[in-house]
Amino acid sequence: MILMKRLLVGALAGTMVLSMAACGGNAPASSAAPAGSGAAASAGGTLNVMVEVEVATLDPQIATDGTSFEVIANYTDGLMQMDKNGKAVPALAEKTDVSKDGKTYTFHLRDAKWSNGDPVTADDFVFGWQRAADPKNASEYSYMLSDIGQIKNAADVIAGKKPLTDLGIKAVDDKTLEVQLNVPVSYFQSLMYFPTFYPVNRKFYQSLPAGTFATSPKTVLSNGAFVLDSYEPAAQSFSLVKNKNYYDAGKVKLDGLKYQVIKDSQQAFMSYQNGDLDIVKLSGDQVDQVKDDPELKVVGAGYLWYLTMNSHDVPALNNVNMRLALSNALNRKSIVDDVVKDGSVATYTAVPPQFAAGPDGSDFSADQNKFKDVCADDTAKAAQYYAKAKKELGKDKFSFELLLEDQTETQNVAAVLKEQIEKALPGVTLNLKVEPKKQRVEDIQNGKYQVCLTRWGPDYADPMTYLGMWVTGNDNNYGLWSNKKYDSIIADCTTGAYVSDPSARWKAMYDAEKIVMDEAVIAPVYTKADANMIKSGVTGIEFHPVALNRVYKSAAKG
Amino acid sequence: MKRYILKRVLISLFTLLTITLVLFLLLQLMPGSPFNDEKLNDDQRAVLNAKYGLDQPLYIQFGRYVVNLTRGDFGVSYNISKNTPISQLVQTRLPISIKIGGMAVGLGALAGLLLGIVAALNSNTLLDSLCTVVSVLGVSVPSYVFALALSYSFGFKLSWLPMLYNLKAPFQSSIMPSIALSMFTLASIARFTRNEMVEVMGSDFMLLAESKGVSGAPLIVRHALRNTLIPIITVLAPLIVDLMTGSLVVEKIFSIPGVGSLLVTAIQSNDYNVVIALSFIYSAMYIGIMLAVDILYGIIDPRIRLAKDSGGDQPGRPGFLARWARVLGISKPKRKAVSALE
Repeated sequence: MILMKRLLVGALAGTMVLSMAACGGNAPASSAAPAGSGAAASAGGTLNVMVEVEVATLDPQIATDGTSFEVIANYTDGLMQMDKNGKAVPALAEKTDVSKDGKTYTFHLRDAKWSNGDPVTADDFVFGWQRAADPKNASEYSYMLSDIGQIKNAADVIAGKKPLTDLGIKAVDDKTLEVQLNVPVSYFQSLMYFPTFYPVNRKFYQSLPAGTFATSPKTVLSNGAFVLDSYEPAAQSFSLVKNKNYYDAGKVKLDGLKYQVIKDSQQAFMSYQNGDLDIVKLSGDQVDQVKDDPELKVVGAGYLWYLTMNSHDVPALNNVNMRLALSNALNRKSIVDDVVKDGSVATYTAVPPQFAAGPDGSDFSADQNKFKDVCADDTAKAAQYYAKAKKELGKDKFSFELLLEDQTETQNVAAVLKEQIEKALPGVTLNLKVEPKKQRVEDIQNGKYQVCLTRWGPDYADPMTYLGMWVTGNDNNYGLWSNKKYDSIIADCTTGAYVSDPSARWKAMYDAEKIVMDEAVIAPVYTKADANMIKSGVTGIEFHPVALNRVYKSAAKG
Repeated sequence: MKRYILKRVLISLFTLLTITLVLFLLLQLMPGSPFNDEKLNDDQRAVLNAKYGLDQPLYIQFGRYVVNLTRGDFGVSYNISKNTPISQLVQTRLPISIKIGGMAVGLGALAGLLLGIVAALNSNTLLDSLCTVVSVLGVSVPSYVFALALSYSFGFKLSWLPMLYNLKAPFQSSIMPSIALSMFTLASIARFTRNEMVEVMGSDFMLLAESKGVSGAPLIVRHALRNTLIPIITVLAPLIVDLMTGSLVVEKIFSIPGVGSLLVTAIQSNDYNVVIALSFIYSAMYIGIMLAVDILYGIIDPRIRLAKDSGGDQPGRPGFLARWARVLGISKPKRKAVSALE
């Protein structure tokens, strides 16, 4: 029929037009593989990077998440920066003088400029730190100034009891910054590479309409390796270009960075494979596919997955031998090799390896056998502890609820944990309870759990970020455990006798850790690693488990 | 007509307010807060709650929210983009989502119509069966699967279209998402059109027209199609809504900076203001579309227009349940028998 023919012709024509519009225009392949390959004429190239979530904020004193930190640090330098091993090295602070009592730091700034031509002055740092402590800003990281950094008057300023100008930081002159601490803090300089301590140009900030700071390239200044080129709040893609006026511009080899937010791991991997991305983070099941690929690079992410046991509300878990039995019944090696499979490391210490280095430069938890008599993959030992526990408790049947969050990896690990424990300790039943993450966090903070598979990430590069958790009454002491000797050791390390003696402090922290392990306050399981694919030819990307996840200053695209 | 429209508008406004209130209450039941619960201590939480007014009693919070709403102030985001006014977040994203949704509706409706007509004209032949197969696939396969399949084939393997949304090539980036989204609409409309048309083709006025000598294209377009279109518009409204919600997943896959992915992220991170604001926008759009369809219905169908007088609901127009029953193919429309001889 004529109408039929007309309809079919119409449909065919429509399809042809559509495909012409798609293939015509600019060949999508070249627009999809952007500036990186060839379009940037010079040798540097643009690195195509992905992140899994949008940038929450570019305001250095408000940001709390890894993605925001990473982007801010691309275009801002603080007093210090990290070398490739995570050690603090000078950035804007050319020279640092520390007083004999360790409580006064004098930073001598080098000559550097903001992207609007203004010189970087000590007052920029004063303004930035005051913003962090200002109760009006309600910065979630203000505790870095008070509890962690122990800056004079910080706690009072944050609580609104003292004015901002009382904060223990002073601009002696344009190039000299003086900071006063309550007690010596051995890792203070490594706090200086956290964006919370970054400078903000006071004059520029005050010239902007309220609430617009750091919302676009025009409302933010750069003094770092790159300059923000395109960005809007919660952007799915944004970019930076090389900062020609950077004081260290010679070291920066890239022409720019192009960020893309990709939430679906499959899409991310495919974008990497067709050249749209130069680096991609793999999910656990994808690692298996690329096990032997030379482009695979596994880096420590520094956060520890562990079992916390509620000794306060569950009588059976109040028994040390019971907890020790649970800890030794696990087969951590099997979990990391067969379940997680992404290079994560089985852990037998309360402080995970790969993130904190001591006065002699060594990793605090390099020796994973330190506590092997109380924490190992040893079902025989577990059975012994279990026998003792059964006798002391007068029971031989136990039922515990294992709380976990609804992530795939966590659920797989929990299923295996259940199997391992129930097999090694006959009479123990572990019931799994899955909850959304926010619910799980709320429950353990309120003590509404029995056993929970949870994780903790380091806030700064010192073991205290973990050990501090188990002090009596600490919000993150989920098992409500309490030990006076432990509390006193920790107090000595943070504000007491050991603050001026780094090596004594280091040793004391081992003593504290021993208490935690002997009493099986927690049962560490594994330390997470990130599996990344990086295009061969791309070098120099620095990965850090603390503060700045990735640093591109020294990266090059070959 | 006027009283009717006014009544509907008032009901819509009241519905919107109720939806907002229910959402507000539901969000309070969610565990946790918009802030980093794991790492904050109680003092810090108190300071943050005070800063955003979250420590006030619920009715004050809600009252303040409604007042701000009338001024067009949706509040600020707590953690997706800290302290950013939500109106700023939405104004760049909403047009993109609407554009893709619009393309999907257009594509789905037109292609579905075409497919349905082809099937109806060749009813009970192989072509009809093929169209049925396409319809069933389109309805049962989730848009997520279509999105992945398209992305993999045209985006990855063939590199014809960009896999991820590229701001510099908005049209090309919108093709695959629109197609993925449109499949359900296409399939539903195709099926529905086919059934309706077969009914219409067999009815008395068609017989009259044919015997008058009208044939071919004019017969189909002027007589059959016009009658078929009326119920299609009715079912298109809930399908449009389906598109708005379906876009959530497709937006995630293609990294489209639209409101769908923003809503999902907001729910997962307890960003209350963003959730309420977006749900409000979605509700407003839905109610607006239903209102428009209702009015359109009255305009297009002369039977309705002429049969109606003052106020009241439109007689002759099927009720809510009846309409959905027809979309799902459970019941057939009742048609007044018009005898060609009368």
